[in-house]
Amino acid sequence: MANLNINGEQKTFDAPDDMPLLWVLRDILGMTGTKFGCGVALCGACTVHVDGKAVRSCLLPVSAVSGRAITTIEGVGATPVGAKVQKAWLDLEVIQCGYCQSGQIMSAAALLASTPTPDDSDIDAAMSGNICRCGTYVRVREAIKHAASERQT
Amino acid sequence: MTPGARRNLGSVIVIGVVAAAGAALYVRGPGPMSFSGGPKVALADYKGANPTGVPAKMANASLIERGEYLARAADCMVCHTAPGGKEYAGGFAFKLPFGTLYSTNITPDKETGIGNYTDQQFLDAVRSGKRHDGARLYPAMPYTSYTYMTDADTLAVKAYLFSLAPVRATPPENTLAFPFNQRWAMTFWSALFNPDTRFEPDTSQSPEWNRGAYLVEALAHCGECHTPRNLGFALDNRKKFAGALTAGWRAFNITSDKTTGLGGWSDDDVVSYLSIGHAKGHGTASGPMGEAVDHSFSKMAPTDIKAMVAFLRTVPAMSSPDLPAKLAPPAPPSHRDGMTANALGKTVFQGACVSCHGWTGESALSPMATLTGAWAVNDPGATNVAQIVISGTKRHTPQGALSMPAFGKSHSDTEIAAVANYVTARFGSKGSQITASDVADLRKQTEQ
Repeated sequence: MANLNINGEQKTFDAPDDMPLLWVLRDILGMTGTKFGCGVALCGACTVHVDGKAVRSCLLPVSAVSGRAITTIEGVGATPVGAKVQKAWLDLEVIQCGYCQSGQIMSAAALLASTPTPDDSDIDAAMSGNICRCGTYVRVREAIKHAASERQT
Repeated sequence: MTPGARRNLGSVIVIGVVAAAGAALYVRGPGPMSFSGGPKVALADYKGANPTGVPAKMANASLIERGEYLARAADCMVCHTAPGGKEYAGGFAFKLPFGTLYSTNITPDKETGIGNYTDQQFLDAVRSGKRHDGARLYPAMPYTSYTYMTDADTLAVKAYLFSLAPVRATPPENTLAFPFNQRWAMTFWSALFNPDTRFEPDTSQSPEWNRGAYLVEALAHCGECHTPRNLGFALDNRKKFAGALTAGWRAFNITSDKTTGLGGWSDDDVVSYLSIGHAKGHGTASGPMGEAVDHSFSKMAPTDIKAMVAFLRTVPAMSSPDLPAKLAPPAPPSHRDGMTANALGKTVFQGACVSCHGWTGESALSPMATLTGAWAVNDPGATNVAQIVISGTKRHTPQGALSMPAFGKSHSDTEIAAVANYVTARFGSKGSQITASDVADLRKQTEQ
């Protein structure tokens, strides 16, 4: 049996060492907020935080994250930055179809946690790997800046 | 013609022939095991443990099992299988500067494969480069290495191949340009460059070294990629294992040179690299070396891997002057620091690469995706960086399959050149300056 700290809770489950974290989250633990997109770390839909850093869970073997703190879209709202990002997303109605948005929010929250007032180049560097077929990029960028300004008030 | 003039003409011809022979011998240079310098004896006269055959623990294996082990050690399958094709059925394309060669079907199909080969015909093909009909093989088939194999080992490989299901498949016709399409000319090439002789142990070396020598030289044919070629496109063993460009990838220096070869690697590092295609802090095998690991080295006994390492350790140091003396440490964690001038390269990197490789080059997903410390990113020619972006990689490791997507179809030559230059500048000690046309050349060499 393996053990992971997910959103502050200890979860116990049975999975092979090389199973990607995404499969454990979705198929074993039933946490389907994190999405499967491309499966090769190219689209960003599966982004979670490992020790606060944005990581693609589709290629991350579950054995590589034992003992580390994992945050998913289900838990990110409990962090101050995550809450601000979610609010900004609602305020600006960023979402269109929504499939990529849990990944977008996780990448944005990790960015704001390390860079509280990002400029466009910081946003490009952190968000370019999160693909949105609806093209919500303009609103994503705006919402990140909105969340950053909210942080300071 | 007066008798004097005839004598003069005769002397000129003799001098010419001697000079040509001398030049030919000079071009041929030393053999692959000459460097060890010790006395060589025929295998039958060697007193140490038998350096040929299969590992001791397989002593009771059947002929076919032994042949399978040796066929893997000789890595027959990778070249004799087309991408997506049936194993050993041929059709893999070798893109050469003067045309394309296709590998042959070596399944036991009687019409399109080798099903009618006698033992002698098989020995002649594998070790002398002579086809069953007497025609000569092109040396894309590494018979100048396999020539060192024993009769027993070669015929065990035959027994294994003959145990496979026959596949009816004819490879495409070769498309070599003149004069390379003149197969008969390979008779002279063979006479000059194929020693056509069997492995002779060096009595001044340990039995382990001799086992390693047999594996490296006769079976694994490491030199075919890692040794530069001479004027006649044969291996130049004066620069044995000093590294070369082969089939659109750079095979790095594996001599004992401390800075640009394997001299700075521990034995465990080399063992790990051969066994799983990765050594911590030294990067990951991809391209042809990744295939060699997956299909050949990873299937070999640990004692054999150790023997190969013991042999490699003794190969005289040769430096690769274009490589930096020091490998770059991890890059800064912020995209703002480090390499910034190459805007297009950065755009491609942050969109397609950073999610696996990270801004520091140390991957958060897998140590096999770590760029820091790899020769590829420290190579100012950026060959392997550009090539892996074009072709991707697919590896089968003990931890499961691992792959990098091929970006060759989604990105232009200009974008690939830019990201290769960005990656080598950010993660290596000396950035590359490759161009879109360099990328176009690299594409051509790996297209199937």
